[in-house]
Amino acid sequence: MTGNRPTAPGPSRLAARRLTLAYEDRTVVEELDLDVPDGKVTVIVGPNACGKSTLLRALGRLLKPRRGAVLLDGTELARLPTKRIAQVIGLLPQTPVPPEGITVGDLIARGRQPHQKWWQQWSETDETSVSEAMQRTGTADLAERPVDELSGGQRQRVWIAMALAQDTDLLLLDEPTTYLDIAHQVEVLDLVRQLNRERGRTVVAVLHDLNQAARYADHLIAMCAGRIVAQGAPGDIVTAELVQEVFGLASVVVPDPVTGGPMVVPGPLRSPDGTSAGDDVPGGAGGGATVPAARDAAW
Amino acid sequence: MTRIDQGERAAQREQGRRAGSGGHHAVGDTGSGRPRGRPVGHAVLRAGQGSFLVHRRALVVGVVLTVLLAGAVVASLCVGESFVAPSEVLRVLLGLPSPDRLVVGTLRLPRLVTGLLVGIAFGLSGALIQTMARNPLASPDVIGVTHGAGAATVAAMTFGLTSYTVLPYVSVAGGLLAALLVYLFAWRGGLAASRFVLIGIGISVALGSLTRLLLTKGDYLVAQQAKTWLTGSLNGRGYDQAAPLATVLVLLVPFLLWAARARRGSAFDDDTAIALGIRLDRVRVGLSVLGVVLASVATGAAGPVDFVALLAPQIARRLTRAPHIPLVCSALMGALIVVIGDLLARRLLSPLELPVGVFTALVGAPYLMWLIVRTRSSRSGGTA
Amino acid sequence: MSGVARRRFGWLVATFLLLSMAVLLSLAVGSRAVAPSVVWDALLHGGDSADAQVVRSLRVPRTVIGVMVGAALAVAGTVLQGVTRNPIAEPGILGISQGASMGVVCAIAFLGVHSLTGYVWYAFVGAGVAAVLIYAVASSGRGGASPVKLALAGAAMNAFLASLISAILTTDARALDEFRFWDVGSISGRDATIAGQVWPFLLAGLLLVLAMARGLDALALGDDIARGLGRNVALLRATGALGATVLTGAAVAAAGPIAFIGLAVPHMARALVGPGHRWLLPVAALLGPVMVLLADVLGRVVVRPAEVPVAVMTALAGVPFLIVLVRRKAVAA
Repeated sequence: MTGNRPTAPGPSRLAARRLTLAYEDRTVVEELDLDVPDGKVTVIVGPNACGKSTLLRALGRLLKPRRGAVLLDGTELARLPTKRIAQVIGLLPQTPVPPEGITVGDLIARGRQPHQKWWQQWSETDETSVSEAMQRTGTADLAERPVDELSGGQRQRVWIAMALAQDTDLLLLDEPTTYLDIAHQVEVLDLVRQLNRERGRTVVAVLHDLNQAARYADHLIAMCAGRIVAQGAPGDIVTAELVQEVFGLASVVVPDPVTGGPMVVPGPLRSPDGTSAGDDVPGGAGGGATVPAARDAAW
Repeated sequence: MTRIDQGERAAQREQGRRAGSGGHHAVGDTGSGRPRGRPVGHAVLRAGQGSFLVHRRALVVGVVLTVLLAGAVVASLCVGESFVAPSEVLRVLLGLPSPDRLVVGTLRLPRLVTGLLVGIAFGLSGALIQTMARNPLASPDVIGVTHGAGAATVAAMTFGLTSYTVLPYVSVAGGLLAALLVYLFAWRGGLAASRFVLIGIGISVALGSLTRLLLTKGDYLVAQQAKTWLTGSLNGRGYDQAAPLATVLVLLVPFLLWAARARRGSAFDDDTAIALGIRLDRVRVGLSVLGVVLASVATGAAGPVDFVALLAPQIARRLTRAPHIPLVCSALMGALIVVIGDLLARRLLSPLELPVGVFTALVGAPYLMWLIVRTRSSRSGGTA
Repeated sequence: MSGVARRRFGWLVATFLLLSMAVLLSLAVGSRAVAPSVVWDALLHGGDSADAQVVRSLRVPRTVIGVMVGAALAVAGTVLQGVTRNPIAEPGILGISQGASMGVVCAIAFLGVHSLTGYVWYAFVGAGVAAVLIYAVASSGRGGASPVKLALAGAAMNAFLASLISAILTTDARALDEFRFWDVGSISGRDATIAGQVWPFLLAGLLLVLAMARGLDALALGDDIARGLGRNVALLRATGALGATVLTGAAVAAAGPIAFIGLAVPHMARALVGPGHRWLLPVAALLGPVMVLLADVLGRVVVRPAEVPVAVMTALAGVPFLIVLVRRKAVAA
């Protein structure tokens, strides 16, 4: 799985070794190895309950491994002080809960917590990091508003701003585009990629939308039933076969009209004979022309 | 068709973005320089290498509360069997010779000091425990301290131990023991706030029922004495009770300073707090142990003065409109409630003196309700 | 899915069987032990033997009241925890029981009422008045009766009433002497009259609450989602609060404050059948009486010939169960 495709050269800063994750008595991820390529945007995709969020939680030390380890710069996460980790890994959980009545500005400023000391509660660096995070996410105008009163999209941007203010080399995002409309989804993902391009931040994100994942990932990880089915550049690994294997969905993979990367178009809709037309159309090679025809046939 | 339309629009977006100022051009970005990063409503105090964030409104509320408290203290020293002029009270407080030295300095001051310290301790304790539990209903009542102290003390009284030199130790021991029990049962690879509170309240209710049972066992004189103790009273309290409390408060100051900082991160959900590098278990245990110690020592001094620990932090929080429960303001609020409560307890039905606990809630509860009535809307329905 | 449903149904049946057993024990066990067959006989055919007399005139009313009180408090606690979304909300901590106590204290101290049957209406009215005040405080101001405001208003009311009660009792020793025996919470010495007084309220409260089970499920997801599911959140809360108040009022009027049931039984039931209210409410309604009756039976035998009041016994015997069940749940993080 991992071996036959070259990942980033050299040891990764964040890696998982023989990682087994479980809640109570239900094992979710078993014996998983992973090297997060440095300086790239890695996106994890997979069907619901495939363990992708669980894996991200473990990478961010929110979940203790049952066996195996997550390594940060070669050291087991469990052996590092959590504050030290917070200076290197920023993490946005799936459903963060704000303190009641907190203002946007205050919330974003709390992202600086790992860098502050008891007697140094607000430094120049804190000031610039927060101010930059606000600027990048367009939350400066909201600064005085209570977080409770924001819309879902605004709130999500505020949380991302907090994670940015943390100013870490690695950024883990668990479904950062939930609650957002399509325009804001694109905005957030652009922002993530821009952070990566301009600052060399390593980003790992869990995304629901396979096409967004394919568009924004440098390195795509497809998970199914707690294991990695495929990983690599989206152009190399996204095929109709993979989509069938991972999501159990018949589809056609066509070139994205904007980027030229792979784009997954579901269909044909389930035909009575079970096997879908996706099997007939080789991934990506089918081209756009066949797609409308396939759809018409299915309709 | 629509699909392609969308594709084109996306392409335009993409181009627009590229053509823009190069940077991310977000909604609401005025472009007029950097936005201020400092959290809204806070001021930064700098001293050498150090820098401290101060919630502005909390500072104002703190100053106002201090002034009110000073007023209440003077009033409380003036009023009694005989009225003493405020000027004489100030002279006594400043150590100047005064004809009223005996009444003010020897009779009224020790009781007042005890009340003040008890109020501070309960206010702090409630603030710490509510913060830790993320639940506005939490207080030393809820995690076993009060009821442990109550059960131990009432048991001692029922079985004939009525010496006021021994009882405080019994109640402190009872409170600490009950809290220890709660920790033991609630700890399971960590201290989850909800489990801690649930087990705490379970044990509290059990101990509370035990206390009520004990109340029916003794004759009614014991019952009345116990009831007075259970309500919290400053009658006959003085420096003997105040001294240990003051010592504990002073010893805890470094820890309280730690708590004031540690508390900032604990208002998030667990995941976010860990992501911010907060050692949740350490913070939770630290905050709650501080709260437990403060509450039990204060209970030893004056009995479980009813509801100060529950009310003072919530009042302080609503006054300051801070996103966390303010420690200093809670302490001041607690002291204010107890001092005013004791003033009423002494004078309202004089010469009959009622226990202070009767009035702390009579003063605090309506005020909290009034604050709730005029509160601004808060959409989130979560915990505190 | 069907496995889960079957397990839930299994627990429902099991708690029902437990309840039947508890009822039988409550009728048979006491300072005078009566064989189950004699109990059966006394219930079906009457008879004038001493045993039959004891069973019919003392133990039947006591057991009936135990069942009523247990079910009422457990359901009221479940509803209040759902409505306020606070795991430690229960009729006691939210001031409703304290309102009932206030009613009883006033009745004793100022109105010269000195009988258990006399207390009932005062307790009921007290609980009602307190609840209305709490709801009025919580729902005024912008934003309406949010869970936090409800919980806080309840706690403040609880504090306020408790100190009023203290004020009355510390100045009136005779009232304290009488009140402390009611305040301890017991189902002994209650006769059929009391059951007759409270059952219509109990029934009304139970029906009201059971009818809104699905609404409570929606509320558990948060106000916004509940609204999205087409629920009238304010109406749901008000209905829930009303139901819980009627139930608490009836229970406290009948037996005095029994704090533990409303707190613990909802958590126990949740550990058995999960958070869905359509299962939770019936199981809680069955489990509450089980706790009350078993505790009451235990209270009759542990210090024979004296009795430990049921409120004390439920708390003491119930705490271990609560601890085990609460510990069983997984750590969130």
